[in-house]
Amino acid sequence: MSASNTYQRSDAESQLIELRDSARQVLSGLGLAVNEEKVWPIVTDLGWLLVGVPETLGGLEQGVTGSCAFHAELGRSLAAAPYAAATIAIDAICHSTLANQQSLIERFATGEIVTASLAESAVAIASNKVTGTMTAVPSADKASHVLVCVENSELVALLSLNQPGVEITARQTWDTTRRLFDVRFADVALDETLTLASGADAKTLSSRISTLRDFALAADAVGGAEALLEMTVEYLKTRKQFGRPLALFQALKHRCADLKMLISSAEALLNDSLSRVGNQLDGAQAVAMGKAAKYLACSVYARVAEESLQLHGGIGMTSEYPCHLYLKRALLNEHLGSGNYELDIADHFLS
Amino acid sequence: MNSTVDSNNLREEVRAWLTQNVPQDWRQAMTGTDQDAFVKAQRDWFNKLVAAGYATPHWPEGWPGGGRSLADQKIIYEETARADAPRLILFFVALYHSACTLMEWGTQEQKEKYLPGILKGEIWCQGFSEPNAGSDLASVKTRAELKGDRYVINGQKTWSTMAQYADKCLLLTRTGKSEPPQGGLTYLLLDMKAKGVSVRPISQITGDDEFAEIFFDDVEVLVEDRVGKDGEGWAVAQSTLSSERGLTLVELTQRMRYSLAKVAEVMRERGRASDPAIRKELGALIAKVNASCALADQYLLKRISGTEAAGDASIVKLNYARTLREFTKLGMSISGLQGQYFEDFTRGGSQETGNWTVDFMNSYNWSIAGGSDEIQRNIIAERMLLMPREPKNWQLS
Ligand SMILES: Cc1cc2nc3c(=O)[nH]c(=O)nc-3n(C[C@H](O)[C@H](O)[C@H](O)COP(=O)(O)OP(=O)(O)OC[C@H]3O[C@@H](n4cnc5c(N)ncnc54)[C@H](O)[C@@H]3O)c2cc1C
Repeated sequence: MSASNTYQRSDAESQLIELRDSARQVLSGLGLAVNEEKVWPIVTDLGWLLVGVPETLGGLEQGVTGSCAFHAELGRSLAAAPYAAATIAIDAICHSTLANQQSLIERFATGEIVTASLAESAVAIASNKVTGTMTAVPSADKASHVLVCVENSELVALLSLNQPGVEITARQTWDTTRRLFDVRFADVALDETLTLASGADAKTLSSRISTLRDFALAADAVGGAEALLEMTVEYLKTRKQFGRPLALFQALKHRCADLKMLISSAEALLNDSLSRVGNQLDGAQAVAMGKAAKYLACSVYARVAEESLQLHGGIGMTSEYPCHLYLKRALLNEHLGSGNYELDIADHFLS
Repeated sequence: MNSTVDSNNLREEVRAWLTQNVPQDWRQAMTGTDQDAFVKAQRDWFNKLVAAGYATPHWPEGWPGGGRSLADQKIIYEETARADAPRLILFFVALYHSACTLMEWGTQEQKEKYLPGILKGEIWCQGFSEPNAGSDLASVKTRAELKGDRYVINGQKTWSTMAQYADKCLLLTRTGKSEPPQGGLTYLLLDMKAKGVSVRPISQITGDDEFAEIFFDDVEVLVEDRVGKDGEGWAVAQSTLSSERGLTLVELTQRMRYSLAKVAEVMRERGRASDPAIRKELGALIAKVNASCALADQYLLKRISGTEAAGDASIVKLNYARTLREFTKLGMSISGLQGQYFEDFTRGGSQETGNWTVDFMNSYNWSIAGGSDEIQRNIIAERMLLMPREPKNWQLS
């Protein structure tokens, strides 16, 4: 009712919208669930790995909000790129005190793959040797390095994957849009020049890394859920039974409306959390926000995927039709990340 | 930059005022009282807010307290929620529905006639729903017949919140036959003391008489008290219904967020503080409540930037109603058998009084009134997802 309301989009916001739009165009040109060989060169050629990197290190300075926009776009198209893992590792390099930051970022943003775990790891260090297992590491067979957070956060480092004592095992998942590996270390020597943080700094960086991962998974889920609902609504509009489009049946309309509402709420929470945390991704508050965003988005994605399969009927159960691809990615997403999300959120609140 | 400084100032100013002025023991005072004591307390609180200019931040410039940006209004609501101040339930229709409708549609004479009365504490009610016109509001039957310079009204309204205390009524009537039925509606401002008006309070599931039936027996309303043209009532009613969206939901979602502490409280009281099953539900609820806040905030931002799309308001309302249900239900379930024993409850505390069973029952306000959840789903499906509308003609087969 009041007249004195103006709102101006900032340059950074406008730039991000442009970047995002062009990403969507490129990805929709490639089609759904495009494989890694095809999409990775595009990711690197178009500089998508530099979106969140600060300007001083040659990036686009779009922060976590920027990289999340790309996670969402890749989630929409179910692309099989190890983008989340690579951006997490690159972000960790940006927030390290390494002298050769700049050259590492250049290497990893232009084709050489750096990866990281999307789930729990159990890695310990003794007399400068690393032992343990990392799970859910995307594209570890092609990556040159992996980001390692050592238990109790004494250390965050990059480790070369091409050295003795490193064993890489492919883990076939139902989700075929991701290629996950276990990485086992047996007394692998640390390379001092690739240590990103140690001691208290390592704790801070570790917490940043896991928050970033939560936001990345949340964005992937929001993007995927949105695309899947659009697809489902479109299907219901075209498929006719009982002499009318299925989209006319209120029982189905209401389910779609509920899904739309749920996706909107997950998206709102993600965006709101991103704008609140800014670049301050460590600390209990940010960790809790990341967890809430991840929990809500991934549970909503799973719900949307379950409902969408049902709403497609028989065709939804065929391998040709992409319903199952979304479903499997959504189911996997719920189990990526680390900890027990709802309990962790409650613990933070009650403490 | 400057506006940030200004809004920080406003926030501090409002916060300080609330610390000084929110009656400290209002919750105790409003627990187990009768409705008349509640009405008096509401009046006192209303007068304080009006005097401070915090009751009418959404009114346009030139009116007391008015002319604030949406961003500033938001600050006032956030702070009110934070301070756990009573809600102005009794004056809600007057401050929002009536004022906004008049600002948008009223003539200068009507504004001058009615708005000062609102600031003085006149209570308004909304007379839209009828026994046979609920979700299908366009089928309103209460008849208004034009006779010279006045309308003569006969019929019945129902579910009218606080109508038994109301001085004035926003009345949706039928003046003509038309297809579609929306075309024959006319919007009138009615004096509840007029001859031929009678009100019968309806007892609600909590035991309170929060809404009432209104009967009209040859009630006269002057043509000058018609809002919009004859036959334009549907459009006017739509702005009445959309008037409070946005800000109200910012306030309510914030209240829900601050009230999460009450869930922790009841967990401790019932010895469930370390029950992992409950903690898990609480964790999920926290995420959802924060999402409801974010959704309401972003909706307001859309309104500020003029980018609101069809269905946005429905998403926010449906989401709030769902989250509120889960919120109150969790509190109630933690309360266990204890929660099923009758206990005096607090009036004026919106849906977070801490009497979980009452709060749970009252959460149905939000899923039924003001366009039920099902109606919101229809709107989202049809106007946002662009799914086809129901066919108009039907037959029982
Ligand atoms: C606490 C409270 C306060 C209220 N205050 C006021 C007030 O101050 N003034 C006023 O005028 N009114 C008021 N109302 C009335 C309110 O607006 C109506 O109750 C509401 O519009 C629903 O109408 P109804 O009760 O007739 O239910 P109905 O319309 O009969 O609906 C019954 C059920 O059917 C569903 N339904 C109806 N149509 C459809 C459809 N097309 N598709 C799918 N499902 C459908 C509804 O969602 C509901 O679940 C209040 C109601 C409540 C509960």
